[in-house]
This record gives sequence, structure tokens and C-alpha cells, in this order.
Amino acid sequence: MYSLQLSPEQLEIRDTVRDFVTREIKPVALKADRLDQCDRTPLVDLIDQASQMGLRSLALSEDRGGAGADALTSCIVTEELAAGDADIAAVLSESSRLAHVLFDQCMNDAQRDAFLPKFLNGDRYHLAFAGREPDSDTRLGVKYHRPATTEVAVKTTAAKSGNDWVVNGVKDSVGNAPVAGLFAVLVQISGRPTPSVLLVPADAPGVGVRAENNPWAHGVCGEVMFKDCKVPAGNLLGDDAAAILTGAATPGRGVPLAQALNLGIGRAAYEAALDYAHLRVQGGRPLIEHQAIGTKLGEMAIKLEIARAAIWQAAWAFDHSEAVADRSLADLPLTTFAQVYTSEAVMKTTKDAAEVFGAMGVMRDMPLAKYIHDARVCMHSGDGNTDARLRVAEEIAGYRRADKTAMRLAGE
Amino acid sequence: MDFTLSNEQRSWQMAARKFADEEIRPISLERDSISTPRETWDWDIIKKGSKLGFRTMAVPKEWGGQGTDFVTQALVMTELAKADSAISKAFSQNWKWSHLISASCTEEQKQRFLPGFVADDTWVLGKGITEPSAGSDNRMPMDDPKTGIKLRGERKGDEWILNGEKAFIANAPIGKLFFIDVRTDMAVPPKQGTTLFLVPSDTPGFRIGKVFNKSGWRFYQNGEMIFENARVPHANVVGDVGGAIKKTGGSGGDTTGGDLFGDLELAANALGICDDACSTALKFAKTHKQGGQPLWAQQNVQLQIGKMSMLTEALRCFVMRVAWEHDMKIHSANAGLAMNYSGDVANEVTELYMEVRGADGCHMDHHTDKILRDAFIWNHLASDSVSRMKVAKRLAAA
Repeated sequence: MYSLQLSPEQLEIRDTVRDFVTREIKPVALKADRLDQCDRTPLVDLIDQASQMGLRSLALSEDRGGAGADALTSCIVTEELAAGDADIAAVLSESSRLAHVLFDQCMNDAQRDAFLPKFLNGDRYHLAFAGREPDSDTRLGVKYHRPATTEVAVKTTAAKSGNDWVVNGVKDSVGNAPVAGLFAVLVQISGRPTPSVLLVPADAPGVGVRAENNPWAHGVCGEVMFKDCKVPAGNLLGDDAAAILTGAATPGRGVPLAQALNLGIGRAAYEAALDYAHLRVQGGRPLIEHQAIGTKLGEMAIKLEIARAAIWQAAWAFDHSEAVADRSLADLPLTTFAQVYTSEAVMKTTKDAAEVFGAMGVMRDMPLAKYIHDARVCMHSGDGNTDARLRVAEEIAGYRRADKTAMRLAGE
Repeated sequence: MDFTLSNEQRSWQMAARKFADEEIRPISLERDSISTPRETWDWDIIKKGSKLGFRTMAVPKEWGGQGTDFVTQALVMTELAKADSAISKAFSQNWKWSHLISASCTEEQKQRFLPGFVADDTWVLGKGITEPSAGSDNRMPMDDPKTGIKLRGERKGDEWILNGEKAFIANAPIGKLFFIDVRTDMAVPPKQGTTLFLVPSDTPGFRIGKVFNKSGWRFYQNGEMIFENARVPHANVVGDVGGAIKKTGGSGGDTTGGDLFGDLELAANALGICDDACSTALKFAKTHKQGGQPLWAQQNVQLQIGKMSMLTEALRCFVMRVAWEHDMKIHSANAGLAMNYSGDVANEVTELYMEVRGADGCHMDHHTDKILRDAFIWNHLASDSVSRMKVAKRLAAA
């Protein structure tokens, strides 16, 4: 039955993470130099602490050493972390997501034996999916409702050489690249109709990682270069791994982690504005007692709660495929819906929250300017909302395309 | 209805466009990326612009300025802002306060300050209103004597002793002469107890504190002003003791200083940002391809750029009408409405531009980011609720 009644465990982990954010993350993340965009070095110590709390392996199944969190729980945790620091949330949610996908869904026993202990034993052993390539165009745009005229090819290749795969190619904008212990790399193997995924340890010979200082992405990303990089033949994942990792298996229906992160940013802005509206007195009253400010805060609360409802519904649908199968929930790309609504709602919320702060809302070393920038980054993640609406339109029109795997590289 | 520009107006517009293209645009992103707020200012560009008249063009000809009309001023602000909104504001801030000098200062005060201002390429002006505990309260003064400005002035013989501070004051760190709102009577409402002073930067007991680290308009500096027994001669009182608010248009009166020019200024500057966004978007859409076709071929891109241009041209009509009304000495709430509208338009147009560039973060560039941050400045001083209510009050008072 469709129910958003949280379990005692879900309520507990929400409180635990919220407390961690309040006590540990916010005092560091809200320091003036950290807020200044010029310095967004990852807060490694806090990520380590979060890892020790189990947040790096949150979605990994319990019998493999994780917390076995479902999509909804993962979203709740990501929102809480992002309310403290979007970059910390991005690093941890990516490792946690990939831990479940790789260890629980894609690896065989031998692969797990090779990599799982390292993952479990290293707080700094993060996971990364190296899918995107320089100049690859994942946008629907001009291809909307038209058969693709050119296949989007994966240019990174893997060739068999004795008992090894030899990888050559370059990936960019790879989330977690600079902190990854293990890469899942999307490669093209000659003669195969679709791309495959190879497991490449970060310390394998021929792997080069260059951190990208990209203010338009959350977390840490980087360029990953493979030059005659050799990995054992056994590192190839099964045939369905590429579709799972690129999101092609569940188009528009993946775990809405990026949306939960986006929501956390909006909540941080809203809570800051609400606090300040109680404290600041102008016009003879606290700001909150003025209609103009009250209306803005009311609108923020409405938008954020509706965004949360959209995210939770998408997460719940992901966790309960039976609810879609029996038509309790519409078979629609609910995660894409959540993306469009949340990103626009949070953009508006962060800007309105900044207005409550007056001139302090445009200062780079104060929180609001950062929240606005973070909200813009979310507007610009993936292929954006113009494209998202086109993807929804194709789906409701019943348009089917053959090159879905390639089209989904950006994920949601 | 005649929208034709005079030869003189056209010539100022062309000179501003040339200066913007050749001198401002090449340094715009470089200045924006300087991380220390105190170092973003560039005297070279100010001196170059000053020699072309862009610092003093609102000073009447009889005082050695160029005596341009409001239409010309609007045209120039837009052209300069098209290359860099903050640098445009750095010039026009001087016009705002030279309007106030012309409208409100005595001949003796003009004689003491205007020739120096006109002759010195590095002389810039400012005005201190906002204080840490009085932002909106200063913009919409209340009757309670305990509210509003706290910076106090006490008369001692021929001098006034000032104590207190101002915050977020434009040009504070680099200005040579400031208008300062001071409470000279704490027992009456701020409207009756505030006096306007001329305060030179070398006034004893007066200093500049921190420089604010703004996310947009980085070139244009805002700083703290600290007054510790600062001594200002009584001869520097502008108008009457207790008459500050009447002088700066806060009452909605028929004055071209303060608010009325300031509203036009923000609207005309925003128009420059929009022009920049529109022309860059069109160029981007024509030169960038997706799937072998220029982006321009896509309906969504056409709709986005069409909307950007529609909003920009509507703003231009509004800006030019307000400038013309000012020249005709027709004063209404239109200037304020245009200012409110310009904030909405600048934000919407720059956000549409961001969308045209394609959501993919790799297409985001420094210039796009900068104009988004610059446009957001309007949200706290032009299109915020307080600004809107101030204008609404003018509607009701008319």
C-alpha cells in the first residue's frame, strides 16, 4: 500500500544525520572562507566522520556490511547532508548509490571478494562511475521526437590482451574521481552492440586522475585518463551493468538523490531566512510579522514541501515496483518530474530567502549567496529542465528510441 | 511621439559604446574574478572614462561638466553596463550625487566642491544612508524616534561631532566626498531629525572599515564607514538642519537627486545587462551546434531568445520614457516602477540566457555566471518588497 509513514529506523537516521549536520558540518561549512566560492576544497575530515557513521555504505545491503537503506531512506539522508553542505552530500550519496548498484547488483562473487573488503575498510575508498566523455552530447534537444541520425558512441575502448583488458580513453566530469578507490568505467568492446562496464581500481597502472575545479558541479569531480591501462579479464561486469549504471534501465525513474540534494539546499536557505525573520526587526516589528516577508516564507514552505512530496513519491515508486505494476502509481518518469519541480522551486526559494537578508543576501562570504549558486548548479546538472520536459513529452507520446543507453549517459 | 535621438544624444551613445567595447569589456571578467574585495577597483578605467566625460557628464556646463540630459545619461549607462554593469555603476554613481549637489547645495558649497570634483579624474562621490541596524528602516522611515539612523551628530560651536557607523556604502573605500545622513535630533521621528552633511574622506575622526565581499557587482565597492568624534564644519550641512530626507527625494518630491535619478539609473543599467544577455545568446545559438544543427534551429531556443528580447525591448521603452519624463520635469511613480520592473526583467532574461546555453555545466562560463550574479544585485535594492512598497506609496500619494 502506498504509504509515506516513515519507519522508526528512518526517523532515527534522519535525526542522527540532522544532529551531525548541526553539530559538525554547519560550523565548518558556514565559515566565511569556505562559503566564498573561491575555496570549495572538500571537507575530507567530515566525509571521513560521515563514513564512520555508515553514510558512505548506506545503501549497501546489510549482509554485505552496509545499512541496506532503500531509495526513500537514502533521499532523506541526502537531503539532511545537503542542508549542511551540498558537496559532502554529493560525495557520500554517490558512493552509497554505487555501493548498492555495484556490490549488490552488478558484481559476481569473485569481483566482490576482490573489492568489497577494500571498500568496507577504507573510509576514503569512494566509488565513481566514469561514463561521460569530453564533447559527448547527451542532450535530447534537436533529436526530440526524431530518430537519432548518429549513434552516440562510447569512445573509450577495452581490448582483450591475454588475460587482461587494456583500456584506452578519457572520461570527464566524473563525480568522485579524485577520491575514488574504484572506477566503474563505461567502455566499448569491439564487436559488441552496446557498451560494457569494467571495474578499474584507481591504482591500476595507466590510470590518471586530474581533479577538475568546476564550480558548476557538486562534490568533487575530475577527468580520468586511461592509457594502456590493464585490468584482469575478470573485472568485466555483466551485460546489464551498463544499462543500470547509465540509468537507461529505469529512464526518469532512478533514485532521486540529486533532487534530494537540491531540496536540502533549498531547506537550508529557507531555515536561515525563517530564523533571521524572527530575529531581525525593521519597520517596528520582526520581519516575519510583515505581510511581504510572511508571504515569501509561506511560499517557500509550500514549494519545499511539494518538492519533498514529489521526491518521496519517486523514491517510493523506485522501492515498490509493485505499486507501479498494479497501477497504484502512474508509470511515469517521476524522478524527472521531481527534478524539474524541485530545481525551479529551490531556485526561487534561495532567491527569496536572500531577499529576507537584504544586502547580506548578496555577500559572497554569507550563506545565501552560496545557496543561490548551489541552486543554479542543480538547474544545470544533467541536461537541464528544457531537455527534461522534452524527455517527458517523448515518454507521454509513447515515442521509443533505440539508442537509449547512449542517450542516458548524463543520468538524472 | 518621436523616438528620434538628437545628434548629441547619438554621439554620446556611440562614444559610450566605443569605450565599452574597447576599454571596459576587455577587463570586465578579469576584475570580476579578483577575490579580494578591496582590490577589484581599477583607477585606469576610471581615469580613461573620466577624460571622456563619463564621470562628470551630469554636472551642469556652467560648473565645468557636460550638462547632459537624462535621455543621454540613460543611453550611456545602458551602453556601459552592456560591457560591465558594475563599471557602469561606478561612473553613474557620480552623476547621482552631482545631481544632488546641483539641486541642493548652496553656491558656496558648490564653489568649494564642484571645481575639485570636475578637475580630478580620481574624485568619486558617495552617499551614506544604510546602517547595520537600519536598512529597510531608512528606506521607509517610521515615526518612532527610536527607529532608523543611529549615527549621531552634536553641534559644538561651528562644528558637528559625528559618532556611529554606516554599512554597505557604495564607493566608501575609494570616494573623496560623501553625503552622510546623520541623526541630529533623537527625540523626534527620523524624518524630522535627520540632517544631510557633506563629509570629505579626509575628515578627522572618519575612516573606512571593511570592504564587503559581494557576489555580484564586484568592481563596484561597498564599505563600512566609521565615525569616531568626526568633526564636520557647520558649513557642510546640506539644506536645513533636520531636512535631510526632503533633499534626497525620500519624500517623493520633485527633485532629481537621490531616488529619482537612482531609479532611472538602476533601470538603465539593468537594460545593459539584458542587451548583453540577448546579443550573447543570439550569437551562441547561431554558432553552437547540436546534432549538426545550430541551436537556433530549435523551437525552444527561439522561444527563449524571443522572450528575452521581448522583455528587454519592453524595459527599453520604459527606461527611455522615464528619462524623457525627467527631462520634461514630469515626475511620477514611473521611475520607481521602471526600477522594480528592471529587477524582474534582468533576472528573468539572464536566467533564460543560462537556459539557452544548455543546462550542461560544461557550457556555463564565467561571463554567464557574472551577469547572473550582477542581475541578482537588483533583488535587494530594486525589485525587493521594500522598493516596491516605496513606489506603491508614491502611487498613492500622487
